[in-house]
Amino acid sequence: MQLTSFSFKSNVRRKLIDPLLQRNMKRFGGRFVEARAAVMTEVDNLETIRVAAAAIRDRSLANLDSYLLAFEEQALARGSRVHWAETAQDVNRILIEIAQSNGVKKIVKSKSMVSEESGLNDAVEAAGIQAIETDLGEYILQLAHEPPSHIIAPAIHKSLEEVAALFSENHHTPRQTDIPALCREAREQLRPHFLSAEMGISGGNFLIAETGSVVIVTNEGNGRMVTTLPRIHVTITGIEKVLPTLNDFSVIVRLLTRSATGQSITNYVSMLTGPRQEGDLDGPEQSHIILVDSGRSRLLGTEMQKALRCIRCGACMNHCPVYQNIGGHAYGWVYPGPIGAILTPSYVGLKNALDLPQASTLCGACQVVCPVKIPLPELMRVLREKSFEQGLRPWHERLSIRLWRGVANRPHLYALMTQMGVRVLSLLGGKKKLLHHLPGLDGWTDGRDMPAPQGKTFRELYRKRRS
Amino acid sequence: MRVGLFVTCLVDMMRPRIGFATLKLLENAGCEVAVPPNQTCCGQPGFNSGDRESGRVMARRFLADFESFDYVVAPSGSCTGMIRSHYGELFPDDTALQHRLNALSQRTFELTDFLVTVLKVERLDSSFQGTITYHDSCSGLRELNVKHQPRQLMEQVTGAQLHEMSKPELCCGFGGTFSIKLGEIATRMADNKCQDALATKADAIVGGDLGCLLNIEGRLRRLGDDTTQVLHVAEVLAGPELGQV
Amino acid sequence: MSARDNILARVRRGLGLPGDIAGLERPAVQEYIRQNPRGPRPTYHWSDPVVRFQERSEKLGTSVDRVASLSEVPEAVVRYLNEKALPQRGVVWQGLPALEWERAGLMLEARGAHADDLVGVTGAFCAIAETGTLMLLSGADSPAAVSLLPETHIAILDVQRIVSGMEEALALMKSERGTLPRAVNFVSGPSRTADIEQTIVIGAHGPYRVHVVLYGSVHVQ
Repeated sequence: MQLTSFSFKSNVRRKLIDPLLQRNMKRFGGRFVEARAAVMTEVDNLETIRVAAAAIRDRSLANLDSYLLAFEEQALARGSRVHWAETAQDVNRILIEIAQSNGVKKIVKSKSMVSEESGLNDAVEAAGIQAIETDLGEYILQLAHEPPSHIIAPAIHKSLEEVAALFSENHHTPRQTDIPALCREAREQLRPHFLSAEMGISGGNFLIAETGSVVIVTNEGNGRMVTTLPRIHVTITGIEKVLPTLNDFSVIVRLLTRSATGQSITNYVSMLTGPRQEGDLDGPEQSHIILVDSGRSRLLGTEMQKALRCIRCGACMNHCPVYQNIGGHAYGWVYPGPIGAILTPSYVGLKNALDLPQASTLCGACQVVCPVKIPLPELMRVLREKSFEQGLRPWHERLSIRLWRGVANRPHLYALMTQMGVRVLSLLGGKKKLLHHLPGLDGWTDGRDMPAPQGKTFRELYRKRRS
Repeated sequence: MRVGLFVTCLVDMMRPRIGFATLKLLENAGCEVAVPPNQTCCGQPGFNSGDRESGRVMARRFLADFESFDYVVAPSGSCTGMIRSHYGELFPDDTALQHRLNALSQRTFELTDFLVTVLKVERLDSSFQGTITYHDSCSGLRELNVKHQPRQLMEQVTGAQLHEMSKPELCCGFGGTFSIKLGEIATRMADNKCQDALATKADAIVGGDLGCLLNIEGRLRRLGDDTTQVLHVAEVLAGPELGQV
Repeated sequence: MSARDNILARVRRGLGLPGDIAGLERPAVQEYIRQNPRGPRPTYHWSDPVVRFQERSEKLGTSVDRVASLSEVPEAVVRYLNEKALPQRGVVWQGLPALEWERAGLMLEARGAHADDLVGVTGAFCAIAETGTLMLLSGADSPAAVSLLPETHIAILDVQRIVSGMEEALALMKSERGTLPRAVNFVSGPSRTADIEQTIVIGAHGPYRVHVVLYGSVHVQ
């Protein structure tokens, strides 16, 4: 996917004044938040389960090579073919090789965020193969030529009217006016593709080492279609997605669906193990699994390893007040919101996404809801430390931090400077005691006044009072 | 009991009144309060900007200034959160220092939490004329579980009526240096907060962290609202008779 | 070195595991898998799994009917189809016990699903009370698409095969079948989407309707 994370600030500026996006994001507002809160009341021991879920993820990661090998052994035994992709480009290459060697002309896809990392659709189209997104949200975006702006609700930034216009223009149909009609139209458009495609691509929510199964957790049924009807099924997923056992999955799925959409369980949970078996009337003849590294192994053994616990529920972005205001596109890559602010710099390089770890007030709303207890604010702070240490932040920022440190560690100097400072600012504040502009602090005063200080510091007044 | 007052740099510079209100509340509750003269800042601005050294330097200073007290109290959830949640982890290689910092951290409290949890204050001689809406600052709320404490105390203020906004726990957009580095997002978040607060028609927006309050007030005034008061909870609890400070 | 070797080596290096033999800790990992411990789950505040299953199913949009015995199932299915003004023909799992569908007026063909089938009748391996979920196993006489392509999915289930949670369902599968079939599908209500303006619409790509007919009674063993 085209990376624009390096221009985060200008992305934000554009998004904040985009009236349509703002309206759509307002509507997005609290719905996921409310749904999650409501459904979590069913879980009387949430914290116990979160701790267990985090431990399960940590267990997988701590012996990732062994769990991957266990998974591979089981998957091979059941007739799946396992491919390993070191980079995003390798994903595209492997996939196109499978497609071409099987004479595939048309691919139907259900959601795979990993395939967004590699820009799979463009690569496939360039190879002369048609790739059709079938998740409703992803389908809308494919028509609009846009990337997803949310990991589980990819078209969250689009309104009914925008979708209606897209459908009418692309399907040459009368413009629909309600959402059920749009869904019906998408169903009718996509059904023939499910039936005629030679290959289906899905992501994989989890890989089960115990059984060699790929698990997908979905609602629309397109995931079942692409893994049942075409002759070839290819799963594309990250190496970190492995879980030891089906029992472990049972623990995690209770939190995944509740954290994501506020459902106790999604409509479909499918455990797929190998290609069709002797006598089966449906199911793919070939099952391929592409295990993708593409930067993930770099995080192991570092503070960032905890980010690999992520089960892609999207709760962190749903609850993030920054995300709620700017939407997902501003983050400039596949994963938006708090987890994106951590994964993007980790995968594409800190230099290329320098502002993302700064794009948080560290309010902690994300950490509270993360089902696998990723300390998101802490990890953002770690990335800030790396930026600071590597001298990647602007010089004036680094200088002012060092200056403040120096001053704050010298009480007499601090007292003197603050006394002078507040006098000046208080005078500048005038009768209304407001500063409308402060040189160097435009970031603040462009949108807000700065209430002026009272005029004397507490320590001055306190000393006077005591004397 | 001897209590050290950690004024915090923002209160020291911008709103000394809050410091005196805190002092009054603690003294009225029977504490022997001292204000160590060498205190400055908790180090959070630098620490959250990626300079761990800022945290370390200020943690040592804090220890030197406050270790001798039974308790330390600050009129800020954010600075208290910095001390309680982060000082201990700043010196992974010095267990002795870590131990001392952890011990001190456990005796360090946010003001309303201290009044309710430690002092068990059940009566305040204070009054406020008007309606209040309360903003839960993030650090206090999520790092220290400060939620019921300020509300419980405001119930004891004669005349004060609490009208909750729809999302009191939503971040106001301050976030320390975030409010300058990403000022446009911060402004939008402050805007949302102001709208939510104003919808309650409250006379005053009250909170426990001056940073948030400056952010909210700054946006309110820029929008032309000169009447809605923006107050620290200590000011409300201490009452109007703070004297001329 | 292959991509596989490179990735595994990087993983080990990152984790700081000794030596360069990928999977050196496989025995410990296999031991954990063999032990297969169950994790914590929410407290079940219900005692009757059938009642719970019915409640949760209905919450998900699955309608539930209950008849005394298997032989009454065809009539129950006809009743449902009539009520909804749906066609009385469709596709059925071969693996279902022989029933007198035709006598009840139903034209059901035992085969794989076709794109234009409007009604699909299946059994279910078992059901989960906690969430109101059907567990379907694919197989030669239980093709997966029958519960997917038709707009209406009707599942027939022995009321005794309602277990409490996903863990029990998986354990039952292991004990009765040994291994996983190609596809285990947990179905919880009709397909849905909320991808446009977060508005829930029933019937995305899969069925618009899921109807369960429970038969038999619970014997105390």
